[in-house]
Amino acid sequence: MKKPVISKEIEGFLELKGVSRRDFLKYCAATAAIFGISEFDFTSKVVHAMETASKKPPVIWLEGQDCAGCTISFLGVMYPPVISVILDKISLRYHETAMVASGEMAEHALHETIKAGGYVLIVEGSVPSADDRYCMIGGKPFRKTLEEAASKAGAIIAVGSCATYGGIPGATVTKGIGLDKALPGKTVINLPTCPVHPDRVAGTILYFLTTGKVPELDKLGRPVMYYGDLIHDNCRRRAHFDAGRFLNDWNDPKQKDWCLFQKGCKGPMTNADCPVRRWNDGINFCIDCGAPCNGCAEPGFYAEMTPIYTAESETSKKIYALRKNGHFNREKA
Amino acid sequence: MAQKIKIDPITRIEGHLAIEVEIENGVVKDAWSSGTMARGFEALLTGKDPRDASYVTSRFCGVCYSVHQMASARCLDAAFGAKVPWGGTLIRNLVMAAEFIYDHALHFYQLSALDYIDIMAIAEYKGKDKDLLAIKDKIIALVQSKDTYPLTPRYKPDEYCVKDPDLVITAVKHYIDALKMHAEARNMGAIWGGRTPHYQNIVVGGVTSYPDINQVARFRTMLDKQAKFINEVYIPDVMTFGTGPLLPLAKAGIGGGHYNYLAYGAFEKDPSGKNLVFPSGVVIGLNPADIKVQKFDPEKITESVKYAWYKENKPVHPYNGEQIFNLDKKEAYSFVKAPRYDGYPMEVGPLARMIIAKNPTLLDLVSKGVKPGAVARHAARAIETKIIVDAAYEWLDQLQTEMTKPGFKIHDTEHWDPPANGMGAGFFEPPRGALGHWIKIKDKKIENYQAVVPSTWNASPRCEKGVRGQYEESLIGAPVPDPDNPINVVRIIRSFDPCLACAIHIIDPQTNEIKKFTIA
Repeated sequence: MKKPVISKEIEGFLELKGVSRRDFLKYCAATAAIFGISEFDFTSKVVHAMETASKKPPVIWLEGQDCAGCTISFLGVMYPPVISVILDKISLRYHETAMVASGEMAEHALHETIKAGGYVLIVEGSVPSADDRYCMIGGKPFRKTLEEAASKAGAIIAVGSCATYGGIPGATVTKGIGLDKALPGKTVINLPTCPVHPDRVAGTILYFLTTGKVPELDKLGRPVMYYGDLIHDNCRRRAHFDAGRFLNDWNDPKQKDWCLFQKGCKGPMTNADCPVRRWNDGINFCIDCGAPCNGCAEPGFYAEMTPIYTAESETSKKIYALRKNGHFNREKA
Repeated sequence: MAQKIKIDPITRIEGHLAIEVEIENGVVKDAWSSGTMARGFEALLTGKDPRDASYVTSRFCGVCYSVHQMASARCLDAAFGAKVPWGGTLIRNLVMAAEFIYDHALHFYQLSALDYIDIMAIAEYKGKDKDLLAIKDKIIALVQSKDTYPLTPRYKPDEYCVKDPDLVITAVKHYIDALKMHAEARNMGAIWGGRTPHYQNIVVGGVTSYPDINQVARFRTMLDKQAKFINEVYIPDVMTFGTGPLLPLAKAGIGGGHYNYLAYGAFEKDPSGKNLVFPSGVVIGLNPADIKVQKFDPEKITESVKYAWYKENKPVHPYNGEQIFNLDKKEAYSFVKAPRYDGYPMEVGPLARMIIAKNPTLLDLVSKGVKPGAVARHAARAIETKIIVDAAYEWLDQLQTEMTKPGFKIHDTEHWDPPANGMGAGFFEPPRGALGHWIKIKDKKIENYQAVVPSTWNASPRCEKGVRGQYEESLIGAPVPDPDNPINVVRIIRSFDPCLACAIHIIDPQTNEIKKFTIA
């Protein structure tokens, strides 16, 4: 197989970021596999994009009704290291939690970038639809800033449950809404889960930089490459679900790996690649630490997922009915 | 002639915060702290299954993630009558230790350090260190490409900024190293927490994650790496800066405030639950030469809403608190309520904890002239990071022994179902300071839920008596020679490690001024 050429310069730079050439190629190979293109083709394109991107694409990251959890999650991206994303791949013009500037200086940078247009807009947090005054930044309703920024954006990415479909704030008196409702008619790439998975943010940006296109999206605006499968279909507790072995006591080593349905697991109705991608550099994910999937990748989160820890939510009732009529039987699937 | 300036937003903090100061003769004469975003989580919880509370309240904040999960689980434990097995407590403590380690390093390097160094001094670096030269080249390349976002724009470096090229470039290298270290600290917590931000394993009665011996070994290996970074990089950096180039700032004692300190206490050392890593206590009007610590009494906490966008109410204990917004209230300027202890505004957080613990390392710094203020806050944070690391090793050893005992438990399954009626309070000491959650349960559902979070104490607006909150008071007298460059204001505010999404009363950050953040 032909070996992709990585210039000395890029190699040196990767090294500075603590990434060996081997790790980089490994990352490219994994990403290529996800995109379904050849490793060589993809690696060459990434290298090319890195070498020729003399003008880095400007990025605006807005935070509305958020907890900054998606920001912190994104900071944990390991491949490529987040510092290289921030300093080399993008020009981060505005990000309340990361930027050096404050106050008027920060707002000025935002307005100048919006004026020029053509940036990637990333949004974290919901928009209060009950009253603009529930979220004011720089003395201005967050909704207005968002609409302005969206009008001249080249691409819009909603990160996390709140920005995509409203999330937990959607169930409060402030009536938080996601970009699907706040920016009707706009194409938005939705990356739900609470918080967002860092790979999915970095991968989506990288996909956009490499191909110049928006990845294939499902009918809820989620990239198929990350949200194509049900959690349930890749869950290692699946056999216990099929056999009707449900965990009741977290202290019992025998039950340790049984199905978490009775503890409220919504995996059978949630689309995301968490069981295979896993979290925190592959160390773990919700179901593997004995906790139920809370359906945070779905628009019904949180209203249709409560109660979280029993099988009495709207979603759990649906799962129960579907299981009863044999919907989840493997032969049928 | 007094001049008002408003900084909105204050960046590099969690949440949405605006600070307005009145400046006269180059110093701050008066100040207003205002939280500008609200989500209404507490009201949302009314009528829900009580067990949801720990999951939902974790989302108060994603920077100091899961600290609310912990405080919430503790108030549920109390209300359900659950007794967490020692194995469950050990795992809770270990994942929270990982959160602490990540959070303090993030705060110092990513959120604060840039206020104290002149990053462009890197261009003057003359050394031969290969790693440092690579950083120098990188920064110069950014400057040459005329695209230095997000490092600029910035406030002009002032006389307190460190300009020594060797110190600055080393600090920037550590800034980059810290990004990786704190990501790894979060990964360490995920061994039992499931993932971060927002652990999944902490529930009423204990934890969901049944441990195995390989996980203990993995945690230990990762903790070794963190301990090395903390002992050899983080603590020396803070001490070098605090007692070196920043000593004048430390001696000036900017950002002192009311000198009242509060810690609820947290992190059990043994199953008795009586010996804590961070002791509880109250100090009113600190005298560093003779620290008088009073016993903490939870009944003395009240919250005033006089200057907050909530329906008018007299100051009440959190059990009886409300979260009914009134966005049209004339005198209000924040979504943050004003908590008081026995009527006094308090500071909570690392400095409060180290003063109440009479920590010898901190007291030694104080004797060298570091006044309790912005710089001392950074020092206290570094000191207690080491304390938590040391405790984590002990918890790991205990867990390893505990899990081999017959009948090892991590959860009180007997008390998993909600009681018909009940109430409970849960206290914890997250990185940012004293945190309390209160719940009332009626007919197995949440009747009322209230949280008084660290940044509610620190970022509080004035109370009904007109007494300023701690942020506000700590700004009084701060030098701001150039109103266009209020760098000392953001230094002081960031030294508290603001976390407004939660501060803002869990969920109600503040703001409301539709006024422009102009220099008026």
